[in-house]
This record gives sequence, structure tokens and C-alpha cells, in this order.
Amino acid sequence: MATFKFPWNPFDPGDPGPCIKFSVTRYIDDIEYGSNIGLEFPEPAIPTALIDTGSPFTIISKVLAKNCNLSLTNPSFPIRTMNGDCECEEYCGSISFPGSGLPRIAAARILARDFYKESSYACLIGRDVLKRWDIRFDGQSRIVTIKV
Amino acid sequence: MASPLEAELRVFEVHRWDWAQSHPGKFVVIREDTIVKDFFDEYEDAFRAGIKQFGADRNFLIKQVWKTEPVYFVA
Repeated sequence: MATFKFPWNPFDPGDPGPCIKFSVTRYIDDIEYGSNIGLEFPEPAIPTALIDTGSPFTIISKVLAKNCNLSLTNPSFPIRTMNGDCECEEYCGSISFPGSGLPRIAAARILARDFYKESSYACLIGRDVLKRWDIRFDGQSRIVTIKV
Repeated sequence: MASPLEAELRVFEVHRWDWAQSHPGKFVVIREDTIVKDFFDEYEDAFRAGIKQFGADRNFLIKQVWKTEPVYFVA
């Protein structure tokens, strides 16, 4: 079992929320197959991701999806936010959490949209990932614990 | 210039009603006018089937079958 702990202070107005490092790449078998025939793939970016229980899906910026050369599986996936309805693009990719010891997710549905305002993170980790974890927040110690 | 996966979305719309009766909530995989013969419970399984049938270097459509398009709320 992997366990990862990190601090989060929900009472600090400067704290953007419970965040961890996140890496997304093309589906891992694509990379192995492509590498075997001489294709090159970009080194994965390692942005910060916000753990968001309010999102049913993992969402990244469109820029990151394009840079990572993810596989497009649906060009118009509608979602509703507090600001109104919008269309996301849907991709499949592999997700990992560098430095955490948490296991990689080999193939995951990832939505992509423009992140206009928020600069503290480039991804939302949604309930599609959280359903794989036991995640708890201890309000007294202000520590988030993830067990897989 | 056509949008990515536009032709596949048209194929899906042609079959949407029938599939919504026979396989509601399942995932279907389409590349041009070729439809993977199985339906899938999970998106990840649908993707792997698409890779197996169409290869890793081609985009293909994965759609969950509903009568009308659901809109998920993101808070």
C-alpha cells in the first residue's frame, strides 16, 4: 500500500487548496510502442494539481493537453460550471504523481479546457481519480493523507 | 476544414437512439465509419479496444451512449 501525506491549511487565504504534483503523458503503451519504432515524445511537464471533490472528472488546461500530445477521444464534451456551460475536449492519457509514491493510472479520461484565471494549478484532480484512493483530511493537524 | 472526429460524431448520432435502447450507459468506439463491435462498461476499456483495432497513431471517438447528452456539473 502506498501512503502520501501533505499539509493543507484551509484557513490560510493564500493557500490555493490541497495540491499535489501531477504528470500526464500519452497512454503509456503508446509511448512504449512509439519509442520502439523511433518516435520521440516530449518529457512530461509536472504541474501542480488541485484535488477537487467538486469535479467528476480530471481536467487539465488545453495548452497542457496539446503539449503532451494526448489522444483526442471527443472534441466536444459539455460541462456546467458556476460561470455557465462550456465545451471541453476529452483525451486519454496516463497520469502519475511524481514524488508521492502513488501508483500511476495507465489509461484515464482527461478533460481539457482553458484555465483563464487560476495560476496556482494547471489541473483539477476529480472524483474519477479520487474513487481509486482513500483520502482523508485531519482538520486538527491540517494534514491530507492519501492511501492506495 | 472538418473538425476533428466530426465524421465519427455524425456516425454516432445516426445510431444514438438505437444504442440508447440496447446499450444505455455503455461506451462505444468509432473511427471514420468503422464501429468497434463491442460496447464497454468503462472508458479505459473502450480506449484500449480502440488502440487494438485502429492503432496508437490515430484518433478515434469514444462516446458514452445516452438518449440525450448529459451535462456534468463541475464545482
